Amino acid sequence: MARNFLVMLGLLAGCYGFNFVLAEFIEVVYVDYINLCGLAIILAVGLNVINGLAGQFSLGHAGFMSVGAFAGAYASIMLTYGVIESGPLSFASMGSFLLCLALSGLSAAAVGALVGAPTLRLKGDYLAIATLGFAEITRIVLTAQDAIGGPTGLKRIPKMPLLPGAEKWDGGTSTFWIYAFVCLVILLSLNLQRSTFGRALICVRENELAAETMGVRAARMKVMAFVYGAFFAGIAGCLYAHYQHSVRPDDFTTVRSIEVVVMLVLGGLGSLTGAVVGAVIVTLMPQFLRPLEEFLNLSGLSMVVYAALLLLMMLFRPQGIFGQRELSLKLLRRLVPGAGRESGP
Amino acid sequence: MNRLWMAVSAMALVLLGVHLTACKQSSDPAASEDIPIGVYLSLSGANADFGVTTKNGIDLAVDEINAAGGIGGKKIRVIAKDTRSKPEEAQTVAKQLATQDKVVAAIGSVESGQSIKAAPVFQEAGIPMVSPSSTNPDVTKQGDRIFRVCYLDDFQGQACADFAFKDMKATKAGLLYAADDDYSKGLAGFFRDHFRKLGGEIVAEATFQGDVSEFKDQVSAVAAKAPAVVFVPVYYSKIGLIAREFRKQGFKGPLLGGDGWESEQLVQLAGETLEGCYFGYHYDPEDSDSKVQGYIKGYREKFKKEPNSLSALGYDAVYAIKQAIELGGGASRDQITEGLRKIKGFKGVTGTFDIDENRNARKPITMLKIGGTDLKKVKVIQPGDIK
Repeated sequence: MARNFLVMLGLLAGCYGFNFVLAEFIEVVYVDYINLCGLAIILAVGLNVINGLAGQFSLGHAGFMSVGAFAGAYASIMLTYGVIESGPLSFASMGSFLLCLALSGLSAAAVGALVGAPTLRLKGDYLAIATLGFAEITRIVLTAQDAIGGPTGLKRIPKMPLLPGAEKWDGGTSTFWIYAFVCLVILLSLNLQRSTFGRALICVRENELAAETMGVRAARMKVMAFVYGAFFAGIAGCLYAHYQHSVRPDDFTTVRSIEVVVMLVLGGLGSLTGAVVGAVIVTLMPQFLRPLEEFLNLSGLSMVVYAALLLLMMLFRPQGIFGQRELSLKLLRRLVPGAGRESGP
Repeated sequence: MNRLWMAVSAMALVLLGVHLTACKQSSDPAASEDIPIGVYLSLSGANADFGVTTKNGIDLAVDEINAAGGIGGKKIRVIAKDTRSKPEEAQTVAKQLATQDKVVAAIGSVESGQSIKAAPVFQEAGIPMVSPSSTNPDVTKQGDRIFRVCYLDDFQGQACADFAFKDMKATKAGLLYAADDDYSKGLAGFFRDHFRKLGGEIVAEATFQGDVSEFKDQVSAVAAKAPAVVFVPVYYSKIGLIAREFRKQGFKGPLLGGDGWESEQLVQLAGETLEGCYFGYHYDPEDSDSKVQGYIKGYREKFKKEPNSLSALGYDAVYAIKQAIELGGGASRDQITEGLRKIKGFKGVTGTFDIDENRNARKPITMLKIGGTDLKKVKVIQPGDIK
């Protein structure tokens, strides 16, 4: 426990340094890509626990994200300005931002528990459809709420709070906040995979009946996985809202849920490294294809390449880039020819 | 396995190479001799039609200006970015335009959702943004560098109510709109409030949600109350179906709508079901004004297509920036912003307008009547007419 805490502190310092380097030396456009990747990683790693580890096919991630985004953004606007009104942006204070993040995560987790308890009795396709339905209902309910802006949603969401020593950083401190949670979710998920809980989830995935026979409370485990994934989806939603300064219900359509699933499948369902790599690829590809699109004057080319790549992937490597393996030092040594022998005892 | 990896990495390297060279091109120092203007629109995806037509209008205006020698000897260079019909993508491309392409002004977008997402980026970077056709009131509230050259939903809704009450002499009106669409819901709300204020009565109201094609229940609920006019602020894809349903159920009164009705098929629909209906529009295509006719002729020659209001507003946005550069005394970001604030009596294709203190265009709305196979101007409503 104490060791994990120290590791997290070290990682936070690393994030601070990372943000500093990006702000000082890297063009804003690339910083934007890196931040978008971070948001995608939080979503994908969270969903990996539900879809990959516990084997429950959920298509409702956008729903949890929207709950977190709207809860956090509303609270943040109220705490910073006190009123919903358009105008120039200001920074959120550290306290209010942390409070909003907690609120986002907890509200999304609560919704996750509420939705998970009844729907996780369903299996496979049925569960996918039920969670898809939940996400759509959430979006439609949010659209009908005039108090949070109706179809145009919330605007003028404050910027993420400044850090000591970061007052003059170009582009703000979004990278620090986003990557702090990237580190947190990866660290937690890594430990979770190796814990009794994680093993129990894998048990449920492989054979639910056998798991129950061995004394694993499958229903409870599944709901807990759901709550875990929803919590981080809520956090990602809140960060996204503060990053974009506006959220609308239509930001969280089924397409977004599917996008997160695609990240997992591309990277390898059940692999944490796969989730990270998948998130980065799916986020960056359309952006890096953009110059090609503009060069050839072919709008929409990225969608074609994207689809073709997924098709090729499914044909030649249906288990995803990493399968269920993780990227570890051992694997790295095996990939570099000759390195394995040198590191022998 | 190894071969696949090599193929993937080779592809990644090629893409990275293309990307970096493309970046280099845009930061070419020789390019600073011109006026870089950023454009972000939906050039692909669900709303590609909006973006492409607007882009045509922009290109036409830029070609005209550059052919005439540019502005003060400097030519306009358009850097167009595709938002892929996604609001969140609008913010990403806005960052590219602001930092990579170093534009001095930006034009975009059609969809209010995209304009609201991109506005904070331009505002923070000090770049003036001109939305050609985002009519949602919230757009220009995002910052003091955010402008628009179209009228607002509130004026449009009020003008339609005014027209229904005073010119059509209707005292009872019905409403049918999409409850989950900000454009439709917004217009209906402004119409309702103003119509009541004038002394009229809203006798029936019905809504629909999502992409539906069956309007039987909503239409019968409205038609049963026999309103003198029904205000239907929806997009063109829906109006044909709704109008047909009204006629099928025997309702003969006129329908009234906003600029969302416009489409190439409108006149075809007109013969059957929209005969005698009215809608508010950005300009009168039959206007004999040389500016309007010149624009229509230029557009037909260049694109072999009929222009519409989106292309006209894109065209006007470019000329508004041109006038702002002349008024502000230069083509820096601050000078253009100052210039835009000073625009008074700008003569565009979509009417003569001022930019008011809220950075919105104060401009007239043209009420058109659909009859036979053409559109006829029946009234021009000025902003001052609405009380």
